[in-house]
Order: sequence, then C-alpha cells, then structure tokens
Amino acid sequence: MADKEATVYIVDVARSMGSTAMAAPSRTSNGQCSRKTATVGVVALRSDDTSNELQEDSNFSNISVLANLGQVLMPDIRRFRDLIKPSQTNRGDAISSIVVAIQMISKYCKKLKYKREIVLVTNGNGLMPTDGIDEIKSKLQDDGIKLTILGADFDDADYGVKEEDKDPRKAENELVLRDLAEGSPNGAYGTLEQAVAELEIPRIKVTKSMPSYKGFLQLGDASKYETAFRIPVERYFRTYVAKPPSASSFVLRSGAAPGQEEGDLAQSQVPGEGNTLTSVRTSRTYQITDESALGGKVDVERDDLAKGYEYGRTAVHISQEDENVTTLETFAGLELIGFIINDQTLEANLPVQYSRYLHMSNTNFIIPQKANDKAALALSSFIRALHELDYYAVARLVTKETRPPMIVLLAPCIEKEDDEVYESLIEVQLPFAEDVRSYRFPPLDKVVTVSGKIVTEHRNLPSDSLQEAMSNYVDSMELDLKDDDNNPIDGLPIEESYSPLLHRLESAVRWRAVHPNDPVLEPAERLTRFAHPDEDIVKKSQSYLDALKSAADVKKVPPKTKGRKRQRETEKPLSGLDVDALLNLEPKRARISPENAVPEFKQMLSRAESVETIHDAVKQMAVIIEAQVKHSLGDANYERVVESLGTMREELVDYEEPALYNDLVRQLKEKILNEELGGDRLELWWLVRKSKLGLIDQNVSERSEVSEEEAKEVSLNPIWSVAKNS
Amino acid sequence: MADDSYAREEEGFEEEELDETSFRSVKDAVLFAIDVSSSMLKPRPSADPKKPGEESPASAALKCAYHLMQQRIISNPHDMIGVLLYGTQSSKFYDEDGESADLSYPHCYLFTDLDIPSAQQVKELRSLAEDEAVARDILKPSDERVSMANVLFCANQIFTSKAPNFLSRRLFIVSDDDNPHGDNKSLRSAATVRARDLYDLGVTIELFPISRPDHEFDTSKFYDDIIYKTSPSDGEAPAYLQPDTNTSTAQGDGISLLNSLLSSINSRSVPRRSLFSNVPLELGPNFKISVNGYLLLKRQEPARSCYVWLGGETPQIAKGVTTQMADDTAQAVEKSEIRKAYKFGGEQISFTTEEQQALRNFGDPVIRIIGFKPLSALPIWANVKHPSFIYPSEEDYIGSTRVFSALHQKLLKDEKMALVWFIPRKNSTPTLSAMIAGGEKIDENGVQKVPPGMWIIPLPYADDVRQNPESTMNVAPEPLIDTMRAVIQQLQLPKAVYDPTKYPNPSLQWHYRILQALALDEDHPGTPDDKTKPRYRQIDKRAGDYVLAWSEELDAQSAKMFGGTAATKSTLVKRGPKENPENADNARDPPAKRMKVEGGASDLDDEVKRNFEKGTVSKLTMPILKEFLTSHGRSPVGKKADLVDRVEQYFEQKS
Repeated sequence: MADKEATVYIVDVARSMGSTAMAAPSRTSNGQCSRKTATVGVVALRSDDTSNELQEDSNFSNISVLANLGQVLMPDIRRFRDLIKPSQTNRGDAISSIVVAIQMISKYCKKLKYKREIVLVTNGNGLMPTDGIDEIKSKLQDDGIKLTILGADFDDADYGVKEEDKDPRKAENELVLRDLAEGSPNGAYGTLEQAVAELEIPRIKVTKSMPSYKGFLQLGDASKYETAFRIPVERYFRTYVAKPPSASSFVLRSGAAPGQEEGDLAQSQVPGEGNTLTSVRTSRTYQITDESALGGKVDVERDDLAKGYEYGRTAVHISQEDENVTTLETFAGLELIGFIINDQTLEANLPVQYSRYLHMSNTNFIIPQKANDKAALALSSFIRALHELDYYAVARLVTKETRPPMIVLLAPCIEKEDDEVYESLIEVQLPFAEDVRSYRFPPLDKVVTVSGKIVTEHRNLPSDSLQEAMSNYVDSMELDLKDDDNNPIDGLPIEESYSPLLHRLESAVRWRAVHPNDPVLEPAERLTRFAHPDEDIVKKSQSYLDALKSAADVKKVPPKTKGRKRQRETEKPLSGLDVDALLNLEPKRARISPENAVPEFKQMLSRAESVETIHDAVKQMAVIIEAQVKHSLGDANYERVVESLGTMREELVDYEEPALYNDLVRQLKEKILNEELGGDRLELWWLVRKSKLGLIDQNVSERSEVSEEEAKEVSLNPIWSVAKNS
Repeated sequence: MADDSYAREEEGFEEEELDETSFRSVKDAVLFAIDVSSSMLKPRPSADPKKPGEESPASAALKCAYHLMQQRIISNPHDMIGVLLYGTQSSKFYDEDGESADLSYPHCYLFTDLDIPSAQQVKELRSLAEDEAVARDILKPSDERVSMANVLFCANQIFTSKAPNFLSRRLFIVSDDDNPHGDNKSLRSAATVRARDLYDLGVTIELFPISRPDHEFDTSKFYDDIIYKTSPSDGEAPAYLQPDTNTSTAQGDGISLLNSLLSSINSRSVPRRSLFSNVPLELGPNFKISVNGYLLLKRQEPARSCYVWLGGETPQIAKGVTTQMADDTAQAVEKSEIRKAYKFGGEQISFTTEEQQALRNFGDPVIRIIGFKPLSALPIWANVKHPSFIYPSEEDYIGSTRVFSALHQKLLKDEKMALVWFIPRKNSTPTLSAMIAGGEKIDENGVQKVPPGMWIIPLPYADDVRQNPESTMNVAPEPLIDTMRAVIQQLQLPKAVYDPTKYPNPSLQWHYRILQALALDEDHPGTPDDKTKPRYRQIDKRAGDYVLAWSEELDAQSAKMFGGTAATKSTLVKRGPKENPENADNARDPPAKRMKVEGGASDLDDEVKRNFEKGTVSKLTMPILKEFLTSHGRSPVGKKADLVDRVEQYFEQKS
C-alpha cells in the first residue's frame, strides 16, 4: 500500500499569468485522480473573489479555496478546468495563500500519517510582504510539509529562460520564494517549463513488497541429522511484471444509439459516460454430447455437475471428500539440493557455463529474517562463499504447505552503494524435466550431409569475409547509453525503460477523461525510446553495416514464389527414386477416389500436361466435397472438407489458377445458403471463414481478378447477416 | 471465477503456439505401426547377468507405445495416438462401421484406434504389453506376408478419417525387417506409391529400425524409397540435415533394446511447433533476415479441473458455453458491440474495440537489434519469464541462415549479447529483451540435448523492478566464509551443472498418477516418487563435519560481534535423543548458549514435544502452536483445534 497523500495546489490566476501556464496543475492533479488515499485540495490565488477560512483578515483577500482536501473525481477535474482561468485582478499575496494551504492541511490531516505537500504555481510578481516568513518556515518544517514552487517565467538557464529587464520586485520575490521552498523538507523550486518536461517522464508506482515466504534456508533433514543447518530467511519480489490497468466490459445502454451518444456529449459537455453504458454480465451454461438430441448436444444444470479431471478422453470424477486427492503432500521449506558452478570454462577447459536461458520466472530476493543478527551473519557467510567460489545453489522451494514444489536457482548478489553493502540471494525458478521440449535443429557452424559427411563451406554457412564483416559491425554497435540526466548507463538501460503498454494506456485514459471526443494518441516518445537504435550509433556504424550487407548478400523472396519451390526440392524420397514415374504407370489414377482425395488431387495436378486436366481435377474435387458435406452427420466431415479446400487453395495459387478456386468457393457458398447440401450448413461456412479459405484475392495471387474488398465481402456477406438473424 | 478464466485467456493468447498462416488445426496425431513377425516376437534375453529378464522387440515396441501414450496424456492432452499391428494372423479394422467394410486390410490389426486415448485404451494397451495371455491371442504372426502397400494405405485411411486437417500426422513404424518385399517389384512399387500418398497427405513416416542379432538394419534396401526428408506441412521447419533413420538403430539385448527405443521415441514425442514464424530479425536499418520462434522451455501445468456430468452410464465432461449479455436488458451481445472501460476518478472511461486495439499496437512483429553489450551486463536478477528460442528460416530472405550463423558465432566467441526490441506477433506488447547465443549441447550418446540458436530473454521494465527490502546486514568475516566454502564444495551436483531431465515435476506426476489410478480403478499408488527431495543421507555423510565446523565458527563469531546481548542458539538443529543414544545426555542438557537465530525453535520443539507425549498439546497457546507449525513448514492458518490436529499429525508421522 502506498502512503496517504495530501497535496494542496495553489494556482496563481492573476491577469498577468495568462492562460497557458494554468494547464500544468490540472494535468498534474489529473494523475492523482484514481487513488482514494491521494487527496488533493485546490486554491486560487489572486482570484476575483475571496473565500477562505481567514478571509476576515484583509491580508487574505483575493484567495479562494476551490476545493478542500479530498479525493478528486472526474466532475471535480472538469470543474477546475472551468474555474482556473485568468481573473481580472493582479491583487493577492502568495505568502498568504501558503498560509491558507498550511491551514487546510493541518485541519485535514490532523496528526495522522500523510505525505504533505503544497505546490504553488505563480509568476512571482505582485506584492509579497515578508513579515512572519520565519514562522511559516518553521511551521512547514514542524508539520513536514514539502513546498514545491513552480514559477512561470522564472530564470532557468537549462531551459533558456532569463528574463531581461526583470522587474526588481519580481527578482526579489523569486529569491523569497526560493528561500521558502528550499527551507521546507525536500522542498523544490523550479520552473513551470521544467515541471511540464517532468510530466513526460512516466511515473513509476512504488509498491511495497510483502514477503512471499518466511521460513528456513536449510541443508539436510533437521529432524534426522545433527548436521543439518537452518537459517531463517524471508523472500520478496525482485522483479514482478506491473500489469497495465484492467478494463471491464460494457455495452451501450439500449436505446442509446452509437451516433446519438457522441452528439449528446458534445452538446451537454458532460463526458461522463456512466449514463450511456451498461455493464456486461457473463452467464455460463453447460452442455454434454447426446447423439439422440437435435444438434447432438443437450444443456445440463450446473447443480448436476461434479468436479473432475480429464485423463485422456476419459472423465475422472472426484468426489467432494476426495477433493485434494491429486495434491502432492508438501511442507514449506527452502531446501538445498546441491551446487553448480557458474562458469567452468577455466577449470574444465570446456565452455560449460550456467545457461542463463534456463531462468523460467520472475526473480526474488532471499534475505535474512528481520532483526535477526545471527541469521544475517549466517546467510552472509553463505552468500559470500558462493560469490567467492562463483557457485550457484540449486534448491527445492515450497512456499506454503501443500503448494507444489519448485526447483530454484540461488545466486549470490552483493551490491555496494556509497559504502552501504546489500547482500542477498537472487532466487529464480528452473525448469523441470517436463518443461523442456526436445526440438532438434541442425548445427549452425557446419552442415552434415545425408551421407554423414561434414561440410564447412556451404551457402548456409558464413564465409570468412561475412564473419569478419559481422564481427566489425557488432563491435561498432556497442551500446553507449545515457540516462535522463545525461549520465552514462553502465549495464542495461532497465531503469530507463518504461512499460509501453502500461503507460500508454494510463495516459490514454487520463487524456480521454478530459478530452472525450479526441482520438487516441500515439505513444509518448519516451516509451518507444528503445524501439530503434540510437541515431548516433547508426551513423557511426553505417559503413560497417554497408560492408556487412554486401558480404551477406541476402535476398528477399518475392511473395509469389514462397512455397512452390520448397515442395519441389523435397518431392523425392531419401533414395531419390522417381515416384512420379511409378505413379504414371498406375492406370486407375485418372479418377480421384473420394477416400484418397487429397494425395490424388495433388498428384493429378503435378502430372497435368494441360489446363484441362487441372479443370477436370477441380471439378472432381467439387463433387467429392459436396458429397462429403451432404453426408456429414452434423459437423463430422467438416474438418475433412476444410482440409480439401485448403489443399486446393494452396495448390491452385501455386498453379496460378485462382479463378478455379474462386468459382468453386462461390458455388459452395451458394449451395450452403440455399441449403442444398443436406440442410443447415452455415456452421461449415463459418469454419471456412475462420480458416481463411475465402476467395483468393490479388494480394495472394497476381492472376486473381478479385480485389481484397470483394474477397472480404464474399466471405462475410450476406451469409453472416443471415446467420445472425436466423 | 468467470473473470479469472477470462484473464487467463488473455494471457494465454500471447503464449499459445499457433500457425497463423495455415488452415490446419494445430494438433498432432501419432499412429504406431508395429511389425508382428516371429523374429519380432522372439524374446531376447538380457546380456547383463545382474539384471536378468528378457524382452522381445515387439513387446519393447508396445511398452514404448504405452509409455508415450501415458506421457502424452500429461504433455499434450488434446493430441491423438493409435496403435496398428501388422503381420498378424487376424485382422481388425472398423468392424462396426458399415461404411468402410468394403475396404479390407488383411493382417492389419487396429488395436487402438487413433484418438485421444481413453483410460480403457491405456489399460488395454498395458495388458497387451505386459500380459502374456492376451498377447498370445493377438500377437500371432500370419503365415502369409503382409503387403506394405496395404499397411500404408490402412494408415492413410486412419489418418484421413480420424485426424482430418491436423497440422502434424506421424506414422511411427517399428520393424526389424529391412526388406519386407525382397525383389518383388510390383509389391515394392505399390508400397512406394502408397508412401507417396502419405507424403502428399502430409503424413510423416518415422522409422524406428531394430537390428537383428545377426543382421544390421539397412535402410537403403527398402525404407529409403518410402521415407521423405521433411513433411510438406512442416515446410517452415529447417530440414534436419542428419536423417535420424541412419543414426539410431536399436539393437542389442532385450533391455538395452527397450531403452534405446524409448529414448529414440522420446526424442520425437512432440512435433515441432513454432511460436511465431518468419519474423524479421533486423540487424540494422534496412537489413533484415527471417527467423522462426519456438518455445523450448515452458512450464507444464496440470490440466485444469472441469465439470463432469454423472447422469449417464459413464461420466461425461460437460462443456461450458459462455454468453455475454447486457446487464440492463439481459440480451446477448456480440463481441463487436463490447466497449472496454477503465475506472478513473469514479467514472468509467471507455474505448471502442478499434481504439483498444490501436492502443495495443506498437508496430509489426520484429526483433530489432538496437545495440550490443558484453554478456556480463545482463544481471542475474533481470528476468520476468521463460525465454523464446529463435532459429533462422530461408522462407522470406535467402541467406538468413548464414547471416544468423555469423552473428551466432560472433556472440558466442566474444561473450556478447544483443539488446533487442521484440514484438513476437501482431498486436503483442513489445518487450525490451536480451538476445543471447546458445551453443549446441550433445549428450554422451551423441544425441542433441540443446539445439544451437539464440535465446530471447525479456527484460523487466523499470516498472517491474522492486526496491531492495529493508534487511539486516552483518557481513561475515573471512574465517566464517571459509568454513561455509568447505561445506559448499562438498555438495556439487554431478558435473556441477543443473540437468532438468533429472528432475520430473513431482506434483504434476503425482496428479496424473492418482488420476490414472482412479480412471483405471487401480490401487492407490502409495507414496510418491519425488526426485526433487534432497539426498539427506549423502548430505550428512559428505558435508556433515564441515557443517559442524561452520556452526562452531558461527557461534564464535556471533558471540564476538554481538556479545552478551545476543542470545544463544545454534543454527544446528537439536537432534532428538532416540536417533543417537550416546549423545542423549548432551541433548537433554539445557543448551549452554542461546541465540536468536531460529527464534527459539529448539526450545519450542522440546516444549511441544513434551506436551505431545503427555497428550496435552491442546493446552499450548495459539502463538506457540503457530510458531511450531511455521518452523516445520506447516500451515499455521485455522482454528485452534485444526492446529492441534496438525501438530499431533506431525509427531505421529515422525514416529
């Protein structure tokens, strides 16, 4: 849980401020809007009227409290937007407004734990009597209130603002304010320009971690052996993926047509959509297969169902009392299994290293139990010993009783910052036997031929010149990054990279809240900083890249020839026997048999000497497919039909006869629409659509006369509307 | 619960392996075709006198099929498997189905029809593999030679009707006959034509050859004519240039035959499926090659529980259908009508589906290199999930493989990594990732364990990094570190590496072990076999003395550092008196020094134990019970009676 916050914004609305400067505070407060514990108050300084607790005193005139401390909601933000605009006056005392803000905070927070802050936005001119300023300073100190002053047109060399011929009173005021801000705890004094720039840097939510395991790091079985040791430890997240805000589903309230909605919003200036949306409920029904029922399925009641599991295709029912029968009995503990060496390259003279890609999960800290000196000492000796040996530990972790065991890697981590040492173990999950899939791939540094010969020069292997060009290029692209303050980053730019989806969504929501009718924005530049290599580095390495490109001689495959060539290469068995010749000898293969349709269709095409043969083959397939649909019990044959259609589509694209396929599909669709193929077969069309087996358009085959739109049209309409209405 | 499953769906979307380009369903069907001849049935006695027993090639093949069936129920619950015996005296093929009665396949016996296996089928296959009586009836070789063309066409029909439109269909032939038709030309050519049909259908034939004691299996005699290099449906996959058929011929006596067949089949148990295909790997502006991505490491979870309908003769799985409806009218709504809204300032801020999609879109799929760093720049903690594996493909860019290879070799040699901007597929969230080169790893039998390629490791964003939690720091002095170092050096894992294959997931295995017992009406399997449990005896034997030395040093150092204020307890756990009688006195003595390392657990243990022996556990206070349970890895949650039960259980299990 984050700390509670109380922030009072004082906005100088004097005539001299102009309107541009006032956008910033509303944007800032905007960011705090979603949290209940982040309370905000707003005070207008040099406003036309006066409303505050101390207004009896004329020193406090032209200061009005727009909102007392509390949670900010959308209507408030809209209200502030209307209220915060330049007034007709330049009268009003900034110091007094700070007093008002202090008053608001002490009244609201009492003695409770809050992060207190006052943010004053002003251009710093106007009368600013300094009597009593020391009291204000000590009050800020005593109450722990941070004062941030954002000045419009204040001097700032970084942002190139230096007002010439500055009004001496303003210069003096700047000094007073600066002194005041810097005297407050963590106070900040800056220019509005700076504040706006800082808004661009995404804010990171600091989450206080709770331990996910409290127990022992143990070696050996303590209940059986005297030589077992147990060190009390705690486990906390080291990394944990921050989830983007989650959305819930809504639909437009019935009666509110989509077009209408937007018009309404524009007119009434009430962008709250609460009235036009209604939430979506999900309901779940359960079905079982019943051959005798219409459609082969019947609904069953939730109450008639028991819990169970699938074992293959058999349902295994587990009664209530046996509920945990499949759960392995385990007890919490972090038990050492053994140790591995991180880098054995030197010792074994073999490239044996811990394979970093075995990391399977987020990572955690393992640190000693709180306030246990001896545990800290014991764990420290373990961490240091691992570190000195360059070893990692492998352990079995059960975080709570009955939870499944995990195998984890424990790596020593010793950080040093300004003489402060921080020691911990980094824990990460390792794969089990079942988690490893043994896909095999050929070696990359040699080619082994069918006969078992090892070849080192091959079109798939890099030549010496390509290797050299690659080496030079890689070296020239060595990262040399700087952080926001222009300090070099050593290591990876993790602290400088922000989750693009999370921050884009958050700012989109904030933007939409205030600008309901604007389109969504492109992601902020800051979020996609690492989407492309830095311009400098690109420039620097350009000559090496050019050399690499010419050594590599990579050629893009034109889209049309993908596929076809590939099959040609592999059409012979390992022995290289000419099976096509044998096929030609088979007399019966002039007709495609329904039970072996796919292979025979392919073979007929590959032997075709004239276009007529292709036409004939397609015609035969059409008959077979229609028969399959007609005789299908429910959806029994649908997958076969999809397979046949898919095969034909691929082949006819390759043979550059898209029209044949397109005609076939059009006919099939018409017959389905007219229910000529054994009743309602819309489900089949839906499957064809899902499998993307509609018309072949010009993007897929140059010889097609069908445009992309037309292809879309045929696969969607009118059948889909028919399906929906029925 | 509904929300929960929805969230999982969203997550699953990123992970699921699918082929966007294909109309085929991403499923795998494996049909075993096992040759049943007198030589296949002849038991081969074990050559090792220590492990007597005999095994015939046929029963070894059946055991492998049974093993694979069991394994796939866990790893690929939606994939199919079947067993076809050929060369048998009797024939069996869809008898009950009138439609295919006119096709007959003499001496082909379809023992397990191609399907997702049922518990009954698992049981039947097991009894065929293990039970002599059943086996004798079915496994009777025919006098007449079976036609391979017929066998292949029989398999063709099984695939065509039972596994239509599957992305992967594989025929596993197990035989010891390298030349079934000798010189008979017409039978040979019929077989090659039928093999071609299978190839055109997209069925891959994988041969598991078994050599006879007196004769090495020679694939060039017959099988090279019926086996093709790669399956056409798996065209994106790079051809495995070393054909497996030549490398692993199972031979030798019965047991080693079974083992080599098992490992050979295991290595091909899963069809290769890509996670994403032909994604450009952009080395620099306007310089791209294409790669495919695979998930070589992925946490295998037990299948989720489901609802079972018990109203019929056999339990049936009920399929859940979700409908979404508007809250006000209770009318079903289409997906396209749904708007997503975020809570903000007490109101709902909504986006249309298109806007929502636009917000998630950060560009087309790409792996874009933005620079290189030494491998050591990648911190050990910078990890959030499992990696993806990439391998070059020549599909989009010719020359991809050589460029990839050059990069791979450079990164391996100079121990460098690339920092990449990674969007695996359309609309997936970009990650900033580390791309590292992984070398090929070969096991002692020359079989590839880890393929060569690159691994993409997603890095955490600044938002995902947590701060160091507050912690007590007492840096250990050198002598203490030295004693611990001695302990650690005693306990290296074999070869000082972590080998995942040695550690099956105990809870996953147990889950399916119990399900199998329930489904097949077997006895409860008793105690689970948990390979992840440390070897306590060995730890004691090898490192015991060193641990004692360390413990003494720890006591000494802590006394020195924290003086009298610190308490007194050793990290060593007090052993109960009965395990080691000669030290009994020692154990009963009140400990001389007490120190808070374990929060006084040992004292506590003694107290709780005394109460247990007297039967007065219930007299102990809640904090004591809780502390005791926690320190023994038991859950401290619940009412007092539950805690008392758990404590009593603890001691009962121990005794």
